[in-house]
Amino acid sequence: MNELTEISPELSFDKEKAMAKSFSKRFQWEMILIGVGQATIWLSLWPLVLNSYLSLWVGFFIASLCACFAYLPSHEAQHGNYSRGNPKRRWLDAFVGHFTLITLMYPYQILRVTHMKHHAYTNDPVKDPDYLNAHSKSLLKVIKNASDGSSTAYEKYLDVFENDKAFINTFKKAIPVAMLYRSLLLVLVVIFPLETFLLWWLPAKIGTVYTTVFFSYFPHRGASIGRYKDTSFWSHWMPRYINHSMQLHVIHHLHPNIGHYDEPKAIEALKPFLIAREVPGADQIPDRVTYNPLIKF
Amino acid sequence: MFEALLEKIFNHIADWGKFWFGFIFLGSIFNAIFEQSSFFYGISNISFWAFALGGLIGLIAKIRGAWL
Repeated sequence: MNELTEISPELSFDKEKAMAKSFSKRFQWEMILIGVGQATIWLSLWPLVLNSYLSLWVGFFIASLCACFAYLPSHEAQHGNYSRGNPKRRWLDAFVGHFTLITLMYPYQILRVTHMKHHAYTNDPVKDPDYLNAHSKSLLKVIKNASDGSSTAYEKYLDVFENDKAFINTFKKAIPVAMLYRSLLLVLVVIFPLETFLLWWLPAKIGTVYTTVFFSYFPHRGASIGRYKDTSFWSHWMPRYINHSMQLHVIHHLHPNIGHYDEPKAIEALKPFLIAREVPGADQIPDRVTYNPLIKF
Repeated sequence: MFEALLEKIFNHIADWGKFWFGFIFLGSIFNAIFEQSSFFYGISNISFWAFALGGLIGLIAKIRGAWL
């Protein structure tokens, strides 16, 4: 019944795919604005704080907000959702992917290749790089793992995927970027100790914890292996704006090329398919997804 | 020759990264806090203690294999 077996001609996989594709065409300008915008704001905090135009504590608050907005624009780039297969626009994926992650201090290419593995092996205890995040015993444990760096210690996957040359090469090429971030942090902390701590290191930690909790833990918590089983719909007291609409993460796992801000509409359209495939929580999807974050001018 | 040196550096960072991070990063932050706090006013060699504390935390993290 699940996976790709046909249920009825109206709810066939081909029809699901065609419908999903119709939501996978729009240029993701909002995400570019958020990614480039937050990184630019974050960079501007440094001269503003160092020249006393802004208090360090206000800078810390703004930097933490920027860090919480930093991952998702890179995530769209990881899936090529800016270039949409157009070779002339691939630079846009790379630019946004790298630039937005400055705030979080992560190399884009490492996140990209490990995220692709996460999609390929979701919830696999050995091969899913995000397994530890989604299958920790408690939320507190997830926060602890994200804080001390255990959940993003991706080096061990060099052994797991040692036969995947593309993975190994891309990963190794990104190591100098990781070293550069680390070196820059250590140089800056000697010159501007409290500013480096409150404008970069601590906000990056807060952003990483936020991302791990809402992007990895809640959507995959308790889920099993399989295309229609590895992610759940979930509900939360906070409006979708605040958790980046991650209650809808399941649609991203099924159709990663649907742009983030088109997911609510896609879910409304694909709801019958999701119920038929017994996606966890699909029967509770409202006909109209509320708190819709689509920006319209 | 150069590659061997690089490999040695990488290995050292992999083995002792937590200690150096504690020493340099935490040490610098402790030093800045101690210098600004009136509580520590009058303690001589305050920078030494700040970096020693950072290094100690890093060393403990290296031995434990985790920060938290």
